[in-house]
Amino acid sequence: MTISPVAAAHLYSVAKPATQPDQEQSGTAKAFAQVAADFTQTLQAGEDTARAAMTGNADLPSLVEALAKSELAVETAVTIRNKVVEAYQEILRMPV
Amino acid sequence: MSDFETSLAMSASAMKAQSMRLRLASENIANNDTPGYRRKTVSFQETFDRALGTNVVKTGQVRLDQAELARIYNPGHPLADQTGSYDGSNVDLIVEIADARESQRSYEANLKMFDQARQMASAALELLRR
Repeated sequence: MTISPVAAAHLYSVAKPATQPDQEQSGTAKAFAQVAADFTQTLQAGEDTARAAMTGNADLPSLVEALAKSELAVETAVTIRNKVVEAYQEILRMPV
Repeated sequence: MSDFETSLAMSASAMKAQSMRLRLASENIANNDTPGYRRKTVSFQETFDRALGTNVVKTGQVRLDQAELARIYNPGHPLADQTGSYDGSNVDLIVEIADARESQRSYEANLKMFDQARQMASAALELLRR
């Protein structure tokens, strides 16, 4: 079978859209974006409370609460990231 | 917000309320010998926190105990009247120390609940690790 350069270019351009991300966000992507936004917000709140505690504007229980929340959020994010990376590596190891 | 976070916020608000109570107990003890001082008390109330979306414990208004002031007989005192006595404070040390101890115990209980919520959340995450 011979492949002409024109046909190859045509097939390539047809195959290319499949590798591009969806423009409209699906439900899963939206949910992930929401989780990421919540995570950032939790970390931001933790930092704000820590700063306030350093300048004497926040009490100790608030600081402990904010730091515990940040810790849990980071722990969750790291665990999920590890799971995702692990799954990705599992796919990479698949014999083709 | 998850139930674990709500429970953390709830315990933290209770700890704040208990530290306010301890502060008033130490103010009362510090002013035990202040003439005319009335002991301060505070009540706790459950209020809805809009930011957290849950009920938390808050301290209400600080009130002065209207119990009668102790009359102290001391003719040499600058504040003494014709009878040779003056108005002391109405602080009872035993009551204040019992109050402070009770607030300490409540604080410890809330601290334990805080720690438990944190440990339960961590333990659930631990399942995902190997």
